[in-house]
Amino acid sequence: MFVIVTYDVNEKRVNKVRKILKKYLTWVQNSVFEGEITYGKLEKCKRELFSVIEKDEDSVYFYEHSCNERK
Amino acid sequence: MQKTLYITSNGRLRRKDNTLYFETETEKRSIDIENIEQIHIFGEVDLNTKALNYISQYGIILHFYNYYGFYAGSFMPRKKNVSGDVVVRQALHYLDREKRIFLAYCFVESAVYHMMRNLRERKEAEAFLNAIEDEWENGRFNISSISELMGLEGRVRNIYYSSFNQFLPEDFYMEKREKRPPTNPINALISFGNSLIYSTVLTEIYHTQLDPSISFLHEPSEKRFSLSLDISEIFKPLVVDSVIFKLLNNRQITLEHFDEDLNYCYLNQEGRRIFINELRNKLETTVRHRQLNRNVSYKGYIRLECYKLIKHFIGDQVYSPLKAWW
Repeated sequence: MFVIVTYDVNEKRVNKVRKILKKYLTWVQNSVFEGEITYGKLEKCKRELFSVIEKDEDSVYFYEHSCNERK
Repeated sequence: MQKTLYITSNGRLRRKDNTLYFETETEKRSIDIENIEQIHIFGEVDLNTKALNYISQYGIILHFYNYYGFYAGSFMPRKKNVSGDVVVRQALHYLDREKRIFLAYCFVESAVYHMMRNLRERKEAEAFLNAIEDEWENGRFNISSISELMGLEGRVRNIYYSSFNQFLPEDFYMEKREKRPPTNPINALISFGNSLIYSTVLTEIYHTQLDPSISFLHEPSEKRFSLSLDISEIFKPLVVDSVIFKLLNNRQITLEHFDEDLNYCYLNQEGRRIFINELRNKLETTVRHRQLNRNVSYKGYIRLECYKLIKHFIGDQVYSPLKAWW
């Protein structure tokens, strides 16, 4: 599936988040990543992210882009 | 779906921020290492053991090609899937003459099937198609040795290649198939495509329990991982040739994409880029699998061939080679 991830994270942790996302997706803009990823990989990525961010201060958004399957 | 990365420019691969970076003089790009399965390197690339160690953690295979685009070798991390049992049984199928000929025949049969499939839609090639059919139908039932099979395959392939002149642009006229080094553009394209498919098959074999050096159609002593030569036979006409036809007939690749020297000819960087792009698209194209009832990419079909071979070796299901039904 194709996902777009955006985040708004406290400056102290923003680098950690960026480095994690870099392993899984392609960087497009500040605080925005996108790319093709499998469901399992995405879960793994989320788990890594949750161990870094502070839930009440930071936010990470995942958007799944569901286009029709390519031919 | 794990991705394949093709590097055609010069630069440096390095480990940084717990991922992989590719740096050229002008740009710096991070690579989503989790999604990469194999990297084909065509340019001049520097890397160090730190990068290699990191790459091997993810089981990523590196394929290297020399300046002329010929396959040089691969870096393969420690194999994770090993099964002595499968290897022993694979070897048994090589040692038994009957069993070996059966498998070798399967590969050739599928290759010929796909060659005929390529020609079937083309009116201009009808005579050649009939010639191949005659040659194949007459020869296929009296095969008693591998060398006879190879001979038959060679004859079929000659007819097949000579039919190219009928439907490819005139610029790409081919006297005959020549390798090492290819002397004209079409031969250069075929060689380049074949070496790419060879290493792609090798990657797929790597992820299974098969031993890439025990082969059936080709002799295992051929200095290479010859099982991938065997399996490549199936996919050369199916994948490489159809990519070549498409690129040439749509004039996406023309004579200006070749560097010609006194005695040989090879694709230049731009030509390689176009070719690789098209091949990548082809390998990622999916077709619905009839038994699995899901979409499988061409690359996936390569892996499935490996699984079918394993099933054959352990006596689970008799091998029947892929014959494109779509």
